Amino acid sequence: MNQQNPAESPRPRPIAEDQALVERVRKGDTLAWRTLYERYSPPVFRFVSALGVPPEEREDAAQDVFVAIYRGLKSFRGEAQLSTWIYRIAARHASHLGRRRRMRSFLSLLPWHEAELEPQPDPAEKASELRLLDQMLAKLSPKKRMVLVLFEIEGLGVNEIASVMGCPPNTVWSRLRHARAELVRAARRIAR
Amino acid sequence: MKSPTQRIDDTERWLSETTEAARRRIGDEVARRRVWARIEGLPLGKDLSSRRARTLALPALTGALVAVGVVAILWMVPATRATHSPVLAKRVPSATAQPGPDAARVVSQGSSAAPVRTGRGEKARVALAGGAGVELDADSVLSWDSERRPWVERGQARFEVPHQAPGSRFSVSAGPYVITVVGTKFHVGVGDDRVSVEVEEGVVEVWRGARSVRLVAGDSWAGALRGLAPPVVEHRPSLASASSRRTSLADSPAPVENGPASMELTEARSALREGRPEDSLAMLSHCAKGGGPAAENAAYEMGRVLRDGLHRPRAAVAAWGAYRTRFPNGLLRAEADLSILETLAKLGDKAAALTEAEAFLARYPNGERRDEVARLAARVRGTP
Repeated sequence: MNQQNPAESPRPRPIAEDQALVERVRKGDTLAWRTLYERYSPPVFRFVSALGVPPEEREDAAQDVFVAIYRGLKSFRGEAQLSTWIYRIAARHASHLGRRRRMRSFLSLLPWHEAELEPQPDPAEKASELRLLDQMLAKLSPKKRMVLVLFEIEGLGVNEIASVMGCPPNTVWSRLRHARAELVRAARRIAR
Repeated sequence: MKSPTQRIDDTERWLSETTEAARRRIGDEVARRRVWARIEGLPLGKDLSSRRARTLALPALTGALVAVGVVAILWMVPATRATHSPVLAKRVPSATAQPGPDAARVVSQGSSAAPVRTGRGEKARVALAGGAGVELDADSVLSWDSERRPWVERGQARFEVPHQAPGSRFSVSAGPYVITVVGTKFHVGVGDDRVSVEVEEGVVEVWRGARSVRLVAGDSWAGALRGLAPPVVEHRPSLASASSRRTSLADSPAPVENGPASMELTEARSALREGRPEDSLAMLSHCAKGGGPAAENAAYEMGRVLRDGLHRPRAAVAAWGAYRTRFPNGLLRAEADLSILETLAKLGDKAAALTEAEAFLARYPNGERRDEVARLAARVRGTP
């Protein structure tokens, strides 16, 4: 699997550039806010999709992430890349949604609850390969999935992932190794 | 017959290619624009310290609420699921606030649907469905209209509305106006001759018939009350708005689809999901007649509904063609080009598809979807 930073991922920018953009947003510059959104909404959408947020919840998830970004701008001190900070917010939000989904799924098994309807596939995503990849990613534990997505799809470095997830780099390496192995095993099972 | 080593190589290659495709996934352009429409109105530049202080105070309360939370989750889950169920969402279209069965009132006024009246020097707090609440000032009357929306008949009321579930809106009637919100805090005042709205947080839209104004935090608005008909209670398919400060609905221009006025698009999309493509197309067609980004989105989405919902690919191609004529440099131009190309290829119209592919490659020589189009063109030509 490729380890290069993808062209579509937010390119690492000088921290001063991020800080200047954040400062303009704080001062009420609508254009800067729009720039920030245009720059980071594609990775946020992609990231929450890859973390298993179903299509019908993605818009609300992205909206909540950007509202959280807006609210947190005051505390952003530029010690990390803006992209890392945004991934951290998106990761936290996607994890929260995942926990809620799992709880709903668990509760739907109870006899007095109706069965939950299957999420509708996003008509914008026709590629069956991507859906297959999503299904395989869904078999991974949430933490392994997040590491794999951040590394393989979002193109973050291990130290940056450690910062997003709040764990040591060695843990990231370990999760990544296990996640890759599980993914390859799953792909081989399908290929058989 | 492939050897195990070949199979492993194929699997690794497939994984690598699929991961690469996942990297290029940037989400639906229209969805991203819809989200932008919802967040562009955030009150930038305002001091958020008080809000932050409240956020920090929350963890202190968390422990005390854990036990209550477990019980609440069991109650809330069916309701949450309902918002994700197209069938249930259809039964409760554009949720309007209804008096909650457990309406906690400081001033008890009998049954939950009965009007709440406050006398001089008296105040009332009423809990509404969906976690919303209203503080009713002295000398005020709150009742419910025929669509079970809270209706400020007289006096002053301060509403607090939590963020609503996808597809749901919270509406309040006041005189001939309907105030629609997603999640916010705002005041509604109904005097002898005017209705006023002041927004503390978030964004609200004030409607009268098919005209609206959009108010963001810090905005206030007032409209005439006398001589006007009571609130129109029929469902409004068109939710146009124009950003305005201290403006009057009576003076506002014809509806202009702009920014947050993308609710009609949302409804059109919901209609498509719910298996009502004709309704969806009608809403989009109406929306496309307006102006601004919402009209552009609608003009593009009409093609999708025609192709995927109504299975009329030729009409879809014509709709995207119309989009290109109207918005030659539109944000969705590349999407429209690609949609036409894909649809022509599926129709087996090789010549037209190849012409489109060549035009696309010439127009976007460095486009991120160049490889995709080149592959598609090769497939149409029948070359590997």
